Amino acid sequence: MLEIKNLCAGYNGKEIAHDISFTVSGGEIFTLIGRNGSGKSTLLKTLAGQLPPISGGIYIDGTSKEDMSRNDFAKQVSAMLTDRPKTDMMTCREVTETGRYPYTGTFGLLGKADKKAVEEAMRLTDTTELADRFFAEISDGQKQRVMLARAVCREPKILLLDEPTSFLDIHYKLTFLEMLDKLRRERDIAVVMSMHETELAGRISDRVMLIRDGICTGTGAPEGLLDKRTLTEHFGLTEELYDKYM
Amino acid sequence: MKKRLIFSFVLLACLLLLFIAVSIMAGSVDIPIDELIRIFSGTSGDDTASAIVLKIRVPRTLAAAVLGGALALSGYMLQTYFHNPIAGPFVLGISSGARLTVALALIASAGGALKMNSAVMVISAFAGALLSMLAVLLMSSRIRSMSLLVVCGVMIGYICTAITDIVVNFANDSDIVNLHDWAVGTFSGIKSDGLMVCAAVVFAALAAVFMLSKPINAYRLGEGYAVDMGVNIRAVRIAMIVLSSLLSGCVAAFAGPVSFVGIAVPFLVKMLLGTAKPIVMIPACFLGGGVFCIISDMIARTVTAPSELGISTVTAVLGAPVVLIIMLRKNKDRENA
Repeated sequence: MLEIKNLCAGYNGKEIAHDISFTVSGGEIFTLIGRNGSGKSTLLKTLAGQLPPISGGIYIDGTSKEDMSRNDFAKQVSAMLTDRPKTDMMTCREVTETGRYPYTGTFGLLGKADKKAVEEAMRLTDTTELADRFFAEISDGQKQRVMLARAVCREPKILLLDEPTSFLDIHYKLTFLEMLDKLRRERDIAVVMSMHETELAGRISDRVMLIRDGICTGTGAPEGLLDKRTLTEHFGLTEELYDKYM
Repeated sequence: MKKRLIFSFVLLACLLLLFIAVSIMAGSVDIPIDELIRIFSGTSGDDTASAIVLKIRVPRTLAAAVLGGALALSGYMLQTYFHNPIAGPFVLGISSGARLTVALALIASAGGALKMNSAVMVISAFAGALLSMLAVLLMSSRIRSMSLLVVCGVMIGYICTAITDIVVNFANDSDIVNLHDWAVGTFSGIKSDGLMVCAAVVFAALAAVFMLSKPINAYRLGEGYAVDMGVNIRAVRIAMIVLSSLLSGCVAAFAGPVSFVGIAVPFLVKMLLGTAKPIVMIPACFLGGGVFCIISDMIARTVTAPSELGISTVTAVLGAPVVLIIMLRKNKDRENA
């Protein structure tokens, strides 16, 4: 479904992620694991079209991103970023509705199908009761769920999530992951995300990719990669520290 | 929600019609409504009253409505562009830039170097507005803080105003009589041919902005999210800059400096509507700006009659407190967050 070939990504010509290749199929969760500044966000931003790739290709069902219009690409890929959305006087429903943007006409008005998709996404993410509240006034965990509803209501083939669980408490972390699990099963969505919690990443992901200083140091099933030896090396930890806290 | 929107639009439209009528009737010579009806139906025997209404008050009132709408709309777009509720054509120095180039054009025409007409006015104002806007943008790429950006805009405004003042002073002894009035800001200088030109420009820009309401709505969430929605961010940004410069330039060309309308009106309209959706904000700001400027203009020409106040004096008194309220509210939000 999503295929990345020899992708080099970075800002203003400065390469941060080097020669990354992987494929993710429908219903699969693929997680990037690495330290701050390792290139995870750069990679996700490039996949989302926010940064132009320096070289290499991004393909969806065999079609290169470059051969797709912005709108067609947006219909298939939706991203949930770490940037805080600016939501001056927007209700949660309005924020969610922006996810349908690529499907709407000249004035951006939602049709019946759009409204139904929004309702469904809100039900799925348990945000229906928040619909008429102002986005600025709800808690961080609730915001995260609304942003997921926004990403999901587009009914994308590919979902990109940059540290989706970082600001959530344990309760929301786990319910969030459960939602994600349900989504990929029910809708066959390919999920590419970054995550810091290796323990949780191991549980939810079908495959993980270790990324260090912009270089992929290993891709595969979490069981084979998230062991003590690999992780101490990957995160630059001493065995002592690892044993004490992990 | 729907009811509130309908109510708001009906209210704004009624206020606009009401104040257009009041503004035409009130002044140094009061014209009663039955006389007004006779004048419009062409059966009035009073030529003086008829001339006052048709040649002076109607163009002036309509100009205040159209240009007020243009200012509010320009302010709304700048606020959206910079994600800053206190951005506006006046505080960012864009109006002042437009005034400077118009003053230069007027002086060139007095010297015989340029033939002055409404189109030349609009073009020179647009060029000035765009130049100031580019200066602001250049600074905004280096400055992260929004309040600092506004301070920089105010500085650009001061520089442009100072140069304009110098230029106008030099021109004082030449044959430009109106330049001084214009430099203070007034809707009085607009004759019906000028009104036609600015109405054409403003309504065309209004239509263009309205067509952009979908991408503007996407842009509202922030750039990253707009890209995620498939918006061509560069094209939208350029369109917003060009249109807001055109609108505020048009005002600067015909009325001179008019302060705070661009900030106060969008805020008041947003409070009235209870939402900030561009598709309703755009027409509502336009109507609201018209109402605001007609009222301000009426105050400017009646309070100290027969002499007149500058329009900015009035809009500042009415608008600046609103800006203060916005800033205090914003501060409170931050504390709560």
